[in-house]
Amino acid sequence: MDNYLKSINIKDFKCFKNFEANGFKRVNLIGGKNNVGKTAFMEACYTNISSTNIDKMWTVISSIKFRRNNLEYLGEVFNLDTMKKDFESLAVINISSNLNISEFRLLNNNGKKEYKFKINNKEIIININDFSYNIERDKKIQFIDNFGLTNSELKDMFEAVQKKDKEEVLYSYINEFDSNIVNFKIIGGDKPQCKVDGEYRDINEFGDGLKHYISIICSLYACANGYLFIDEIDNGIHWTQLDKIWEIILKISKEQNVQLFATTHSKECIESYGRISKKFEEKDISFIELGQKNKKIESIIYESDEVIEQIYQNQEIRGW
Amino acid sequence: MVKIICEGDDDKSFIRQLLQHLKKEEVIPSNIVNFDSYIQSMKGKSNLLDSEKYLTIEKQIGKKIDKVLFIFDCDYIEDDNRCGGLEKSKECIENLIKQLDWSIEVDYYIFNKNLDYFIIDTLDKKDNFEDCESCFRLKELNKNRKILTCIYKTLYPKKPYDFSHKNFNDIKKKLVNLFKVESL
Repeated sequence: MDNYLKSINIKDFKCFKNFEANGFKRVNLIGGKNNVGKTAFMEACYTNISSTNIDKMWTVISSIKFRRNNLEYLGEVFNLDTMKKDFESLAVINISSNLNISEFRLLNNNGKKEYKFKINNKEIIININDFSYNIERDKKIQFIDNFGLTNSELKDMFEAVQKKDKEEVLYSYINEFDSNIVNFKIIGGDKPQCKVDGEYRDINEFGDGLKHYISIICSLYACANGYLFIDEIDNGIHWTQLDKIWEIILKISKEQNVQLFATTHSKECIESYGRISKKFEEKDISFIELGQKNKKIESIIYESDEVIEQIYQNQEIRGW
Repeated sequence: MVKIICEGDDDKSFIRQLLQHLKKEEVIPSNIVNFDSYIQSMKGKSNLLDSEKYLTIEKQIGKKIDKVLFIFDCDYIEDDNRCGGLEKSKECIENLIKQLDWSIEVDYYIFNKNLDYFIIDTLDKKDNFEDCESCFRLKELNKNRKILTCIYKTLYPKKPYDFSHKNFNDIKKKLVNLFKVESL
């Protein structure tokens, strides 16, 4: 598909310096050891895809900083200055892909601070005192972090399911996950609830895995013709449900034309990914293995058959 | 990490057991787990000696894989095969290594004839088994001596190999060297 991210060159972003990778498919699972940069890799892709203008770039970077630091932010007052401080802490962003060029640099000329943005072929330099921005987010590009979606975010995602008349599909998937649950609704504005034994109960009363599962399904519909990033996809999910999740992901991502990137540490999750891809003869998938060599982050991208062969041979592909 | 490239699943199983023995002997690092992940089967000698079959491994060379050891059978010189016999096998593997042109340390070990033949040579009851082999004319059924090793493994499941036999020294040396600088 033309809209897919196929290759990326991260010259500068967080832990990445001069990193290149190509061969991404519709569904991409990422593995690697702790602190190798799996989440940062997805954030770089997310930033590059989202940054089609300055407002969007600022919004996406702020949301990344917010997600990473959200516990520290509790009780703090948000304003542009806080955001600027966060943004400036990155100092340099330089990412290019087959879709976009995204560059940001904080210039400091004898105390005169300026932001330099380069987005595709447009280059803009703004004095930081004159800078302001509007929150602008592309709804078909979503990032589910390891804390999962908030109730309000889940409500937004569920709206996409409703607009596409896919509620029945969602209910049947939820019922397959837990046969006691017969319905799902947003009640009272933004309270996701599941119906069990004739009664609606708040989703937060159930295990985290259920909310994560519903979030993934709803987000796939919300990201039609777009992109979905999921950090630690198997978070809270019992291994017996992994095949079901991959089956759903492969099916809906194809139907709705969604490019998906997800991370995992779990061997069971990778094995399930390979098994289900093989079962459905799905070729439009990849496994991205990240590792470090001489302190430089490198990637190995396995295509569908290679993933299956590596799993069959019990090879270690969870990083090096 | 290091990678051992072998012909098939029997070789993989044998190498796994030899590595377990070497770990027990404390001559390879004790932190090495999941031996299977170090051993890749190529599903046949012709694949093993075909440079076109290394596309996936090639992706890992220099990034993830720092050292490679090929282990395979030389088979029989009379086989109608361009890589049959020790001399032709050596020539083929050296050509392969040249073609692959990996800028890492690469070594090889070739079994005399084949793995089963090699193993029978190390059995303490070798003569008895060879009597059995000729009595039943097993070589006429399978010259690779697979039947004989299967009989031995069935009779002595707890002691499939005698790794202390001197015939294992060369392959052990290659494996110890392979894992020497490996730090996991």
